[in-house]
Amino acid sequence: MATDDLDRVREQVGGETTDSRVSRPLVAVGFGVALLVLSPLVWLLLRAAAIEPSQAVELLTLPTTVDVTLNTLVLVAGVTTASLALGVPLAILTVQTDLPFRRFWTVTSALPLVVPSYIGAFAFVSAFGPHGLLADLLGVELPEIYGLHGTVFVLTLFTYPYVFLTTRAALLSFDGTVVEAARSLNHTRWEAFKRVTLPQITPGIAAGALLVALYALSDFGTPAIMQYDVFTRMIYNEFGARRLDYASVLSLLLLAMALAILAVESRINAGRDGAYVSRGARRPGEIKLGKWKVPALLFCALVATLCLLLPVGILLLWLVRGGSGYAAGGFSFEPSFAWNSVSLAAAAAAVCVVAALPLAYLSARSDDRIGSLPDRLSYVGYAVPGVVLGLALVYLGLRYVPFLYQSVLLLVFAYVVRFMPQAVGTTKSSLLQVDPSYVEAARSLGYPPLAAFRRVVLPLVAPGIVAGAALVFLTTMKELPATLMLRPTGFETFVTYIWLVRDAGYYGQAAIPALVLVAVSGLSMLVILGREKYDAT
Amino acid sequence: MDAHDDDDGRIVDSGSRRRFLATTGAAAAASLAGCGGFLTGSSDDASGSVSLSDFRGSGPMVEQRGEPDGTSISELPDLSGELTVYLGGGEGGLYLDLIELLETEYADFDVNHQRDSSSDLANKIIEESRAGAVQADAFLAVDAGSLGAVAEEDAAASLGEDVLEPVPDAFRDGQGRWVGFAGRARAVPYNTNEFSESDVPSTVHDFPDTIAGSMGWGPSYGAFQSFVTAMRLDRGDDATRDWLNAMLEAGVSQYGNEWEVSNAVANGELQAGFANHYYTLRVKRSRPDAPIGLAFTEGDAGALVNVSGAQLLQGSENVDLAENFFRHLLSAEAQEFFATRTFAYPMIPGVEPVGGLPTIDELNPPDIDLTELADVSGTVDMLRDVGAL
Repeated sequence: MATDDLDRVREQVGGETTDSRVSRPLVAVGFGVALLVLSPLVWLLLRAAAIEPSQAVELLTLPTTVDVTLNTLVLVAGVTTASLALGVPLAILTVQTDLPFRRFWTVTSALPLVVPSYIGAFAFVSAFGPHGLLADLLGVELPEIYGLHGTVFVLTLFTYPYVFLTTRAALLSFDGTVVEAARSLNHTRWEAFKRVTLPQITPGIAAGALLVALYALSDFGTPAIMQYDVFTRMIYNEFGARRLDYASVLSLLLLAMALAILAVESRINAGRDGAYVSRGARRPGEIKLGKWKVPALLFCALVATLCLLLPVGILLLWLVRGGSGYAAGGFSFEPSFAWNSVSLAAAAAAVCVVAALPLAYLSARSDDRIGSLPDRLSYVGYAVPGVVLGLALVYLGLRYVPFLYQSVLLLVFAYVVRFMPQAVGTTKSSLLQVDPSYVEAARSLGYPPLAAFRRVVLPLVAPGIVAGAALVFLTTMKELPATLMLRPTGFETFVTYIWLVRDAGYYGQAAIPALVLVAVSGLSMLVILGREKYDAT
Repeated sequence: MDAHDDDDGRIVDSGSRRRFLATTGAAAAASLAGCGGFLTGSSDDASGSVSLSDFRGSGPMVEQRGEPDGTSISELPDLSGELTVYLGGGEGGLYLDLIELLETEYADFDVNHQRDSSSDLANKIIEESRAGAVQADAFLAVDAGSLGAVAEEDAAASLGEDVLEPVPDAFRDGQGRWVGFAGRARAVPYNTNEFSESDVPSTVHDFPDTIAGSMGWGPSYGAFQSFVTAMRLDRGDDATRDWLNAMLEAGVSQYGNEWEVSNAVANGELQAGFANHYYTLRVKRSRPDAPIGLAFTEGDAGALVNVSGAQLLQGSENVDLAENFFRHLLSAEAQEFFATRTFAYPMIPGVEPVGGLPTIDELNPPDIDLTELADVSGTVDMLRDVGAL
C-alpha cells in the first residue's frame, strides 16, 4: 500500500481516537475484558510461587522437561506446517479455480473442525492401529500409527480447517483487480500469486495458523491417544499426583511457549495495515485447472475421506458392534444432555462475540501496539489446557465469587477464556474490511460515535460476528476438561457423557451422541459458510 | 455382537488356579454380556419391589451362585433424603446403576451426583475444603490413593464403627476415614495365542528376565502409579527403581491407560501387560473370541488389591444418611452387584467373586496400608527419573 494511503488511514484513525468520549472508555473496556480473561492465570502464579525457586529451576531443567519441550515444539511446528499445506491449497482451489462442485468441497473441507480431535484419534487408532479394522480388512500390516507422525497426521486432519477458513475469507475479500494488473504486466500466474496475492492473504493465513499452533500446544487427548509425549501430559501427571505447584510451574512454561508463538505470528502480521480493503472488491479471474483438474479432485476427496468418512464410519461401526446388550441405567443417554450442550455453547458464543467486539475494534482501528495488546493477550487463554483452567477457576471461584461456584455462569466464563480469540479473529478481519471513512461520513452527519458504529459498522461486520459465534459454538460443544471440572453437580453434556461411556469401554453407547454432536456442530459450520453469500458476490 | 458365541467348550484340564482363571473368568464375562438391559424393565416397577435378582447379573455362571451371605438391605434402615455424591472413575457409570436401584427401592431417596476422574475430584475436594466450601456429602473413588489424599487433608470425617465393621482391616482406613466397597486386583493379562500361560512369572520381580519386550504398561494411569507406589512401600525405592529400569531395558511399551493395554494384549500387539483384573473381563465381554487370559502374581505389589471406597466429607450435613448409604453399599445385594456386574472383588466375606477368580484371601496381596497410596508424588518423580513418564 502506498505511503500516502497509509497516512490517510492513520489520519482517519487518529481523528477517531482523539475523540475522548469514545476512545478512552473503549480502551478501558478493551483492557478490562483482557484482564478478566487473563484472571485465571493469577492462580497459576500463586501456585507456582509456593514452590522453592531452586526446585522450580530443577524441574524446568530436568532432561525429561527438556525432551518433552522439544517434542512439543516439534509437534506444534509439524501440525502448523501440515495444516498450511492442506488448508491453503484447499482454500485456493475452492475460491479461485474452476474446480467442479466447489460448493460441496468447501463444505467437506471445513467440516472436519466439528469432529473432536480425540474422537478422530480413537477412530484412527482403531482403524490403522496394529490389528486394527483396516489392517484386518486389507489383510496387510500397516505402517505404525503411534508416535510423532501419527500425532501430526491426526491433529492436522482435525485442525487444518482453521487455516482453510481464514485463508478462504482473506481470498474472498481481497481486491482481484490487482492480480489482473500484475498479469497484464506479464507476470506469470505463479509470480502474480507470490508477489500480489500471497502478501495480501498472509495475515489471514497467519491467523488460522496461530489457532492451529495454539491448539496443538494445549491439546492433551490426541497426543495421549497417539502415544506421543508432550507437555500437557507432564502437566496432567502432576495433577494426577496432586502436586499442583509443580503443575503450575509447568503450565507457566507452556504459556511461555504460547507467547513465543504469538510473537512469531505478530511479526508475520505486522504489515496488516495492508489488509484494509474496500468492500465490493472484484474477484480475480478464475484459474482454469486444465489437466490438474483430476489431481485436484482426488486431493479434495482424499482429505474428505480421511477427515470425515473414516471417523463417521468408525462411529457407525461402534454403533453396530456395540449392540443393545450394553444398555444400563447409569449409561442411558438423556435428551437433556443435548439441550445442556447446545444452550451452553449458544451462551458461550453470545458472550464471546459481545466481549470480542471492543478488542477487535481497538485492534483494527489503532495503529499502535497498545491498541492491539488486549487482542493479543486474549489468545493466552486459548493456550491454557482445559484442566489447568478448570482447577484455576475452582480455586478462584470458591474464594472470590463463591455464589458463582458450580454455576453455569462460571462454566460459560471458562469457555469465554478459552475460545474468545476465535471470535476476536473473525470480527477483526471483518472490521479491517470496513473503510473507516464510512464512520467519518456518519459522524459528519451528526451521529454520535456509538450510534455511528451501530448504524454503519455493525451491519457490515455482522457476517464476521456470526462466523465468530459459530466457531465458538462448535468448539464449546467439543470442550471436555474444563466442562468436567466446572459443571454443576448433576449437569451432563454430550461430551461428559461420551467421556464417561468411552472411559468405561462402552464404545457402542458413545457412538450415537458422538454422531449427533458432529451433526449439530456441522449445522453451525453451515452458518459460517452461509455467511459467504455476502462476501462472494 | 452376539455375546454367546464364546468358546465355552474349551475345558480346563488341570486344577491350576491361574490357568483356571484364564478361561472360566472369560466365560463368565461373556455370559454376563447379554444381561445389561433388564434394569430398564425393573425400574418402572413401584418402589420397594427391588429383589436380589435385580442386583445380580445373569448368565450360566451367575445362576449357579448361592445366596450371598451378609447383611441384607431389608435389615437396614430405609434411605430417605437427598445425598450429593462425587463419583470418581469411568466405572462411576456402573455404580450409578446401583444407585438407581436404591432410588427405585426407596421413593424418598435421591442422589445428586458429579462424575469425573478420581484424582481430579480429589484435587477439587481439597480445594473446596481449603476454601471451607465442600459441595458434596460423600466421595466414591476408584482408588484408595485419592481417598487417602482427601483424608490426609483433613477433608474427610471418620465413619462409625458399625459402618466399617463388615470390611476386613486391610480394605478400610485405620482411622475410619474411608471404607472399601469393591476390590480391584492388579493382574497380568496375556495373549493366549502368542504366549504360553506357564511362562507368566509368579512374581513381578521375575518379569524383566522372563519376558523380553512385548510387554505393555500405562505409566500415566492412576492404577499403575498406585501399583508402583505399593512396590515402593513394599520393597523400598532402590528395588523399585531397579525393577522399572529393567522393564524399560527389556523394551516395555507405553499406553495411555490399562483398557488400552488389555486391548493391545487381545490384539496380539503385546504378549502381556500390567492392568487391573477387570479390564481383561471387559475385553472378553466386548470381544468374546479375543485370545486373552489373566494371571496373578503372588505376595508382591503385582498382587496389590486396591479398592473403590466411600468417604464421608467433612462438613456434610447428611452424616446419618451418608453412613446408611455406605451400609447399603456393603449389603449382601450391593456386594453381589459389584461382583456380578462390575467383576470387582466383593468386600464382605459372604459374597464370592465371579467366574472362579481367586477370593481375596487367596490373592496374597502385599502387606501395606492402602491410605499410604496417597504418596503418588514420589512415584511420579521416580517414573520421570527413569524415563518411564
